[in-house]
Amino acid sequence: MGGSVLLAVRNVRKSFGENADRYLALDGINLEISEGEFVCLLGPSGCGKSTLLNILAGFDRASEGSVDFEGAPVRGAGRDRVMFFQDAGAALLPWLSAEENVRFALRVRKVSKAEWPTIIDKVLTMVGLKEHSRKFPSQLSGGMRQRLQIARALAVEPKVLLMDEPFGALDALTRRRMHGFLLDIWQRTGKTIVFVTHDIAEAVTLADRICIMSLGPGSRITEVIPVALPRPRDLADPSAARIFKHVEKLLA
Amino acid sequence: MRAAGLFAGSIIVAFAVWQFLSTVVFNPFLIPPPLVVFKTMVPMIENGEIFRHVAISLARVGVGFITGCAAAIVLGVMLGRIKLVNDLLDPVIELLRYLSPTAMIPIAVIWFGIGETSKYFLIFWGTFFIVLINTTAGVMRAPVIRQRAAECLGASELQIFLLVVIPSAAPYIVTGMRIAMASSFMSIIPAEILAADSGIGFLLQQSSVLLQTNRIFVALLTICVLGFVSDRLFRIVVDRMLSRYMSYISLT
Repeated sequence: MGGSVLLAVRNVRKSFGENADRYLALDGINLEISEGEFVCLLGPSGCGKSTLLNILAGFDRASEGSVDFEGAPVRGAGRDRVMFFQDAGAALLPWLSAEENVRFALRVRKVSKAEWPTIIDKVLTMVGLKEHSRKFPSQLSGGMRQRLQIARALAVEPKVLLMDEPFGALDALTRRRMHGFLLDIWQRTGKTIVFVTHDIAEAVTLADRICIMSLGPGSRITEVIPVALPRPRDLADPSAARIFKHVEKLLA
Repeated sequence: MRAAGLFAGSIIVAFAVWQFLSTVVFNPFLIPPPLVVFKTMVPMIENGEIFRHVAISLARVGVGFITGCAAAIVLGVMLGRIKLVNDLLDPVIELLRYLSPTAMIPIAVIWFGIGETSKYFLIFWGTFFIVLINTTAGVMRAPVIRQRAAECLGASELQIFLLVVIPSAAPYIVTGMRIAMASSFMSIIPAEILAADSGIGFLLQQSSVLLQTNRIFVALLTICVLGFVSDRLFRIVVDRMLSRYMSYISLT
């Protein structure tokens, strides 16, 4: 870890609407994310975390300031930054089986057809959906759908995974399992991950760095907390608990 | 099995009530009893008279319905996708949709005479607005998340449109077509009563002038069976060809 800077956010401001209806969502965001890093954006609902993530993805443009990816300004959704949504049922193509969903990604990415079977096999095995490759999203559980979304993203070999509260809709047990699963994928593939959450425990469990965002309007990153603990982490462990308490106090 | 039994039971009860109303409550001239209607029907089937009328009405519905659907889907997709087109045409459509095919009969006769063209036009008219509104709604409601997910996997505008938006809208389009089909079978009748020399509606009109209530009942029964059978056939075709696009409605 600690590679070169992959994503650089400088003085980003974002407002919606015009004149009297103008709402300032983000006010001066500065953030540098290195290659291979796992960064959590943590803050209360409505603090602009998703807005920032949408700007990083290229779905939205900053009103002011700049976002650079690998030294070049971000223009539109880029193939190297794959967004990962909480509502996997909506994000996946429900009329395609698990395997076909991955194939869709390879098709639009123009990967040569000869490679498809190998890649499909590899990513579905990696997320443990090999036996379910013929099932449709509606036949998969919530956790499995999220894993399929990860498989589909991995198939196109992005450099960054942008995750917008991906496990927020899952039950607590499944969410725990997904944390272990995501960390495993992250360690094996070395992807850079920007992960949005409002769950302190989730952030402490996963992140290299936790960026705490203040409640809007005019949200900023108020604090950056490095979490230099070995994984898997146990929140009952004193050093993890100390960070948890600290973050909790900052958000209170 | 149970459903089939209940279905048969419902029909049998209906015939019993019909017999009762015809012989006890009213009189057999106003409401010819089932047996008389069947006796009238047999020669009409044997000499092919009924099939001639059915074939003509079906052809009219078929031509009007298919051209109406085709035009409505093309325009509906544009309305749903291109804001300017929608802003320009939506007010007009919102007004014109209240002109039912029946309301258009007088002018259609003047424009197209009492030949086939006026009937094609009237069915087209009725079909067009129903399918148009459903198609537009379906295209507009294609989940943004799904389009964005495809976009960051690398899909082009055209791919998002063809592979994500259109399939997402398919259930709406098919539903619109199904409603339009039922409405076509309803609106062909007044069109043929007022302006035709063949077809089921003409058979109704002619029998009414000659006070042949038994023949009127044959025509009415034929309409029931025709509408029912065509709807079932439509559903079977959709189930065969489009089930993977339809089945996920239950998911979200």
